[in-house]
Amino acid sequence: MSTFLPCGVYHETYAQDHAFWQTNFIRGKMILLALVSFIAIPFFLTDYLSEFILLIYWSLGALGVQLLIGYCGQLTLGHAAFLAVGAYASFLLMALPWPRFMLDMGVVYPLVLLISGIIAGIWCVIFGLPSARVKGFYLILTTMAAQFITVDFFIAKYVSQIGGRQQDLTLSSDLVKFGPWTVDTKRDIYYYGLILTILMTFMVLNYLRSKPGRAWVAIRDNDIAAESMGINITLYKLQAFFVSGFIGGVTGAFWGASRNIISVEDFTFGKSLWLVGIILIGGVGSIHGVFYGAAFMVFMIWALQEIVGMVGGTGNIIYYKEIAFGLAICGFLLFEPNGLAYRWWQSKNYFNLWPFSY
Amino acid sequence: MNGATASHRDDVLLELDDISMSFGKVQALAGIGMKVRKGEIHSVIGPNGAGKTVMMNCINGIYQPQIGNVNYKGEKINKLRPHKRAALGISRTFQKIELFGGMTVLDNIRLGRHMHLKTGLISGAFWKGKTQKEEIEAREFIEEEIIDFLEISHIRKKTVHMLPYGLQKRVELGRALAFDPELLLLDEPLAGLNLEEVEDMARYILDLNEEKRWKMTIILVEHDMGVVMDLSNRVLVLNFGNAIMDGTPDEVRQNPEVIKAYLGEEDLYATRR
Repeated sequence: MSTFLPCGVYHETYAQDHAFWQTNFIRGKMILLALVSFIAIPFFLTDYLSEFILLIYWSLGALGVQLLIGYCGQLTLGHAAFLAVGAYASFLLMALPWPRFMLDMGVVYPLVLLISGIIAGIWCVIFGLPSARVKGFYLILTTMAAQFITVDFFIAKYVSQIGGRQQDLTLSSDLVKFGPWTVDTKRDIYYYGLILTILMTFMVLNYLRSKPGRAWVAIRDNDIAAESMGINITLYKLQAFFVSGFIGGVTGAFWGASRNIISVEDFTFGKSLWLVGIILIGGVGSIHGVFYGAAFMVFMIWALQEIVGMVGGTGNIIYYKEIAFGLAICGFLLFEPNGLAYRWWQSKNYFNLWPFSY
Repeated sequence: MNGATASHRDDVLLELDDISMSFGKVQALAGIGMKVRKGEIHSVIGPNGAGKTVMMNCINGIYQPQIGNVNYKGEKINKLRPHKRAALGISRTFQKIELFGGMTVLDNIRLGRHMHLKTGLISGAFWKGKTQKEEIEAREFIEEEIIDFLEISHIRKKTVHMLPYGLQKRVELGRALAFDPELLLLDEPLAGLNLEEVEDMARYILDLNEEKRWKMTIILVEHDMGVVMDLSNRVLVLNFGNAIMDGTPDEVRQNPEVIKAYLGEEDLYATRR
């Protein structure tokens, strides 16, 4: 999607042309976005903080899926497995006997977050290995295997029994400390997730404008040509799996920290499908799409709950939710297969080019 | 480099040693031998289905010949994967355009620069510093050497699949040039172009071969006899997987067997004249 620069904006160096935000208008919009997300939401929309935390969670999870499906073209239907690996890894690592002073200084949790991301990344690479040989539908099957082997077998049968039979793992919130900052109130969790999202989004965007990201997109568009241009496609596919798994693991750890308790029910196959659904609705191959898709989903569920509450139906919200989500995906595939991000881009262009749209 | 042109001519850059390739019962290549010397344009011609593209794929590594060797600079490279061969300096374009459709022209050409960049997962994540410097250097190279040379500066930010065919061919050539290869394989670079674009493309090919900046050795697969006969130093003629002859354009033009197999009636082969 090429973009237009307004009249009078000229770049004089290549660095300007490589920058994310190229005009003052966009910089202004970004400052506004930062003000809204750092101040307006946590202080003035406190009633809806849970929804926003969910939004952060789904966007982070879908970011990893977007990288794999949207940018590297490797279909995956088992991403909840890597979220689970990250969450369980962070809980178990926090349970290790860390020295007291490290806990007090608050260096343990950041370290654990990083390590659990890396563990999930490596786990993802293991299940990405078949991608060297298979693609498309066949790869879907191997990633589904990741879901069932990891969550339904490995974690449900063995890992979750560690604390005792039928006992969910817990993490006391005063252990979640970044330096002097303890993440215990809802607002803290919101900030934690927000900063994590910003970091991860910038990471992915930076990849996409440098060597690894270009190689991923090339593999998605045309793997034979990519290989004859000197790209080691197996290596780069596995790198994409690693980064995607890393983001997934970090997301899982964030989810755990926001709940203080995790169980296998948080990481079902359905969740993997929802993550893919988010990027279908938001737009495959677009970072904007991740956030639009996640927002669509979270606020659709919220609105449904309100409506169902008003009508007086109770208890069946879970079914309405699934039905609405399925319908939404069907609708998008039929009427707007490029997703919300494409619709947004189109309307933006309409106003940018108005009144002479040619 | 200047004084050594004579001995240069005798350097064999790429040698196909009796390569054979068959798909089921179809013998695509039957014992083809070919020597490409440094600095020459070596054309491969033949009717459709003669095995020209299969031969290109064997050189490039997409196929590995079942019998025989591919030697590059005296080393056997049969078993190397395409990306390893690219690292040795072999670049190519495709007959049916194989660009990365969703990327911009600039990104496509940057991708050709892939092997010269060193950004990894860690430095790539941070961008500032090493990666940024490297990207700017790559951009300078691309703008000054390639976009300028191929005259595609007006479309550099356009998405590739929106471009007309002739420009796409040019972008593909640009991508192949971006990593500064020694041996360039051009698989029908002129197919489907109009007269003006053919003239442009022929000029680029000659420049790449002759200009001091590039000095590329080129293997050219083409159906346009006028261009082939004018540009090439040597021509290899294939027919149903067999090499009919390998010689200078004049020798090829007069060989009765070639005329019978491919060129046909004398007036017909000189198209676009």
